[in-house]
Amino acid sequence: MPITFACATSHAPGITAWAEAAPAPQKDRIYGGFERLRQALDESRTDTLIVLTSEHWTNFFLDHIGAFCIGRAERYTGPVEPWLQIPRAEIKGDPALAAELLETCYDNSVEPSFAYELEFDHGTMLPLHFLMPRMDRPIVPVFFNTLAAPQPSPSRALALGRVVGEVARRSQRRIGLIATGGLSHDPGERNHGIIDSDFDHRFMTAMAQGNCEALGRYQRSELAAAGAGAFELLSWIALAGALDGRKGEVVVYEPVKPWATGVGMMTFGLAA
Amino acid sequence: MRLRLRGGAAKMVHMSLYALQKLIRDVNRKPACREAFFQSAEKFAAGYDLAQPEREALIKRDVGALYAMGVHGLLLRPFTLLHKMPEPDYLKAIRGE
Repeated sequence: MPITFACATSHAPGITAWAEAAPAPQKDRIYGGFERLRQALDESRTDTLIVLTSEHWTNFFLDHIGAFCIGRAERYTGPVEPWLQIPRAEIKGDPALAAELLETCYDNSVEPSFAYELEFDHGTMLPLHFLMPRMDRPIVPVFFNTLAAPQPSPSRALALGRVVGEVARRSQRRIGLIATGGLSHDPGERNHGIIDSDFDHRFMTAMAQGNCEALGRYQRSELAAAGAGAFELLSWIALAGALDGRKGEVVVYEPVKPWATGVGMMTFGLAA
Repeated sequence: MRLRLRGGAAKMVHMSLYALQKLIRDVNRKPACREAFFQSAEKFAAGYDLAQPEREALIKRDVGALYAMGVHGLLLRPFTLLHKMPEPDYLKAIRGE
């Protein structure tokens, strides 16, 4: 079955937590982008979602860091942040799909860790809140280590993504993909508030072209230079690997100063 | 203007920096730890194997020093939010202004 839905989106917590701090036209365009993605997801009749995502010291700490982690739980809860202005919810997992994804990864020389218990923070809950407000599809979360150096390289994110794409395509079910994080931002760090729109546009151009070669060539240092939060774009790069060259379209891009983030959304063609 | 990235301190986590960050994450994430820390930071910190300058910076809430020692921004900023530190003050502290 072809991949039924694919999008990438930022998850800056300000989008919900201090929504009104943004200039109204920017906020409206971003909320409009989410609405467009939500409609596309609904129309795609997707059964289950693989969510390529990141977290912010919610589950993982320096006592044990892996490059990638696949969730095998039957259910997840979130958000952990009471201030996020997103109601706490339970989301069903898909342990069978998670197991298949893990086994196929290990058969293809990509070895993620796995977890039977994970909580979601804004990184996962914010996109789900907008795209799937009824929380009515099961998901398999795939976490990327974006916080603790060394983070996985873009070429390894592509390799993981290729396996995700293979598993999604050979499934009899309708599987959709969401990648979330980025774009340029430096949360909690010295360049907090600086948005590198040139970097963001270059990155989204490569994504729109399905240019896996260019995406795989990004160096960790280039991501770091766009802010610590730009490592979250590893999930977008994995999405490009899963889509194997499928072209995409920018739904919205806004450098939102009060949210201290280059906020972008893209969608990547839909199967019939 | 973009400021230089932090150097080795942020990349290389030695054991006492690990303990310092563990303490801060415990305070951020665990209500019982938070309560104990706010009752007596000194007593709470005694349970972690910190180097003396780290212990002092923590007890003095010297945010600039904690940052320079290599505490991750997404641990330090939530920690300062528990202390109701406004964002401009936080950024000044970590930028050494």
